[in-house]
Amino acid sequence: MDTIDSALAQADRAWRKYGVGGADRAALAADLRCDLRAAEADGFGPAQLLGPDIPAFARRLADEAGVARVPAESGRLIGIALAGAAAGGGIGLALLTTMYPMLIRLADRPRSLGLPVQVAVVAYYGLPALVVVTAAVVAVRVLLPDVPRIRETGRAMAVLLPLAGILVTPLTMAFAWSTGYSTAPQVLIIEIALVVGALTGATALARRWALRERHRLVEAASV
Amino acid sequence: MIVGDPQAAEDGDRQTQLLRGALDMCLLALLASEPAHGYELVRRVEETGIGAVGYGTIYPLLTRMRRLGLVADRQQASPTGPPRKVYELTTAGRARLDAWQQQWTRFTGIVDAILSQRESDTTPARS
Repeated sequence: MDTIDSALAQADRAWRKYGVGGADRAALAADLRCDLRAAEADGFGPAQLLGPDIPAFARRLADEAGVARVPAESGRLIGIALAGAAAGGGIGLALLTTMYPMLIRLADRPRSLGLPVQVAVVAYYGLPALVVVTAAVVAVRVLLPDVPRIRETGRAMAVLLPLAGILVTPLTMAFAWSTGYSTAPQVLIIEIALVVGALTGATALARRWALRERHRLVEAASV
Repeated sequence: MIVGDPQAAEDGDRQTQLLRGALDMCLLALLASEPAHGYELVRRVEETGIGAVGYGTIYPLLTRMRRLGLVADRQQASPTGPPRKVYELTTAGRARLDAWQQQWTRFTGIVDAILSQRESDTTPARS
């Protein structure tokens, strides 16, 4: 910890992790900066004043300042979302297996019926994707009812998970194509990691979105 | 492996516990005698001999007392650097300090009486 800026950056990270909203973080940091700058001018550096455990200091300060906080609970949220998505993936796979012969029959229909092949493709991939997203959202809503803003988080996930799916599917397909559609374990692991990474990122982003919205409302109410 | 003195460690813990219940009152008392900025208050606390209490403890406490309206801060120009935030007692802070002081005096009086009783019980009677 060399400077006031790095001390405040550490404190800000701790506050963010602790669920302190943006306006409160800014107010706490501004107050602290003022004190630290004055102390530095008198020869006392941030390390001397705050000690080695800045995150603990930051949490104590947030508690004493009485700021409202909503813990992100990202770890639990992501774990349950992924478990839900995996369960949804299983159901989706079963659906695909069931749907496949049906789609073949549809595709074999005479052209006069006018069923575009894109419809079949969207149905083939879209329905299982819908099951995955629904399972992930339902899992976090049902298993984490005690987490604040979980309803809003679920709503944000319903928007962001499909977007993540749309982005990661061509990426994964391109990777599979680049390997000649290899089924080697390491290739499959990378493909799974790409999908899991996209789901994780979308879930974390959804949580952040839900909390940001909440902090915005709190800040608007306090003006 | 260096093993510290367990008695000294226990004494330290005990002192910390005692301090925890009285530190906010001590800070109010110190500010009542003269307004101070955060790290100056740390120095003043140290000078009282009550124990080592760092800025990391005092600054959050000051923040709480400010939230509760017991202290207020104002900017004071400094000849050596940026303006300092100086904390001083509010009227509510003085009233609270008076109330806490009375409570503390009553409490320590009771504790003293209990300890004196124990001393008189354990002192052998002179013949």
